[in-house]
Amino acid sequence: MHMAIVLTINGETKSFDAPPDMPLLWALRDILGMTGTKFGCGIAQCGACTVHVDGKAVRSCVLPVSAVANRTVTTIEHVGSTPAGAKVQKAWLEAEVIQCGYCQSGQIMAAAALLAATPNPDDSDIDAAMAGNICRCGTYVRIREAIKQAANGRQS
Amino acid sequence: MSGKMRILTSVVVIGVVAAGLGAWIIRGPGPLDFAGGTKVALADYRAGKPTGVPAKLEKASLVERGEYLAKAADCMVCHTQPGEKDYSGGLAFKLPFGTLYSTNITADKDTGIGNYSDQDFLNAVQHGKRRDGARLYPAMPYTSYTFMTDEDVLAVKAYLFSLPAVRAKAPDNTLSFPFNQRWAMIVWSAVFNPDTRFAPDTSKSPEWNRGAYLAEALAHCGECHTPRNLGFALDNRRKFAGAITAGWRAFNISSDKATGLGSWSDQNLISYLSLGHAPGHGSASGPMGEAVDHSFSQFAPEDIRSIVAYLRSVPPVPSPDLPATTAPIAPASHKEGVTADARGKMLFAGACASCHGWSGESPVSPMATLTGTWAVNDPAATNVAQIVISGTKRHTPDGALSMPAFGNAYTDDEIAAVANYVTARFGTKGSKLTAKDVAELRKQTAE
Repeated sequence: MHMAIVLTINGETKSFDAPPDMPLLWALRDILGMTGTKFGCGIAQCGACTVHVDGKAVRSCVLPVSAVANRTVTTIEHVGSTPAGAKVQKAWLEAEVIQCGYCQSGQIMAAAALLAATPNPDDSDIDAAMAGNICRCGTYVRIREAIKQAANGRQS
Repeated sequence: MSGKMRILTSVVVIGVVAAGLGAWIIRGPGPLDFAGGTKVALADYRAGKPTGVPAKLEKASLVERGEYLAKAADCMVCHTQPGEKDYSGGLAFKLPFGTLYSTNITADKDTGIGNYSDQDFLNAVQHGKRRDGARLYPAMPYTSYTFMTDEDVLAVKAYLFSLPAVRAKAPDNTLSFPFNQRWAMIVWSAVFNPDTRFAPDTSKSPEWNRGAYLAEALAHCGECHTPRNLGFALDNRRKFAGAITAGWRAFNISSDKATGLGSWSDQNLISYLSLGHAPGHGSASGPMGEAVDHSFSQFAPEDIRSIVAYLRSVPPVPSPDLPATTAPIAPASHKEGVTADARGKMLFAGACASCHGWSGESPVSPMATLTGTWAVNDPAATNVAQIVISGTKRHTPDGALSMPAFGNAYTDDEIAAVANYVTARFGTKGSKLTAKDVAELRKQTAE
């Protein structure tokens, strides 16, 4: 059963038909063509699909699209226009965080949500916010470094 | 009679009387005795129609009426193994003394109930007697279904016989002695099966009577929510005070204000029963999740309201091990609040926080909010451990939300650690589960 869905994504209103229980991730990638957000595990255990809903990092693979109506969704395509997202992306480039890159849109979304809520995170804050984002290349050390750079606005 | 014989006879008589008295005391009151009003035979009750189907189905066919009643009695969940055909049996009930398997109740003549006459079916459902004369174990809640009218039982039969017959033989039970002696159930039944049809109470409203019929005869709430006595029958002295069933805790649903349903609003009760979720009270999972999905969610709204009216009348019985109030929302920062179990915290950060949040209020959906639920406020952490092991899938009007099962991904030790962390952070008192406790919980779940 399809229904008319209206979402606010990256500041724009998007309307489309979808089954109400379709995960937001599928709607983003398959219907709206926004493929920056990645599919990893499908059970909210790897973090690759992280987006922001009302500013908080959530896993879009388990979130029914009907549950985000009337809420504000931000994806990797747009996070650079938020202050925390811009800082994170800059630091990511400076620290050369990315290796294969598959998990990185999720990592950046999680890091941006962290910095928006906690502008000067310590190691335990980074652990608490980033533990659910898995990187098979093992870029964790550089992720931690880049988050600190983004927070300080300089290279440490 | 010689002196010796006389002594022997007196000993036997005293023994029989003592056993009878003991059984009488253990048996205690029936499920509806608390109401204490004036009971009349159903045929003499004029104020309403407590049995049968709701008004909108009054004119429906026998099969359609039977379908409503079969769902209200929730036959399918126990008589279907996950992934197999509906009603084809084979679900395993793991008991301390062995495993029982549910039977195939499709109309297959060899492996199901295709040869059952109406009387055979009534005998099974109301009296716990199989077609071949053998006794059923009370895992089949015939002590509740016995309150159903013949008409309603036979409507269920008509529905079951309208479905495709499935050839499927359930595995043999593996009960140990003496529990493998089915004949002993004759005695059990004589003591514990009230073997009587529902009798309306004229001192109560028609709505209450409908609720009583639905809750006791069909939905068999007490089978999970009422503690059991020495004879493994329901102890109605503590009616609806809560119990452990299939490894999950069925919480207190008496009218106790602190630990029962006494302080729930009508709207929340209606929402919990029909959707499996009530704001601030959490979501139904495990056996109650199944009851909502397959049974309560299919009830007519007026039937849900009747059950609520009935539940309100059940005397309060406190659960002394539960706190008087559930814990408030936890701090938003992981650094504040209780963080006793470092390993549990690490697991929570990696596997749980993205959906449940550090505050316990889910950023994803109110259905995943931990704050206010009994599960995290239960110092035994039974349902927290169970849901981590087996996950859940909740249906909402807008679609499904699910939590993955972590039982195969994490060790007993890890599950204990995360349960202890979750109950300490989001509940009133942290649990002290060990790996051994978790292993024990795994063994009890039906599959």
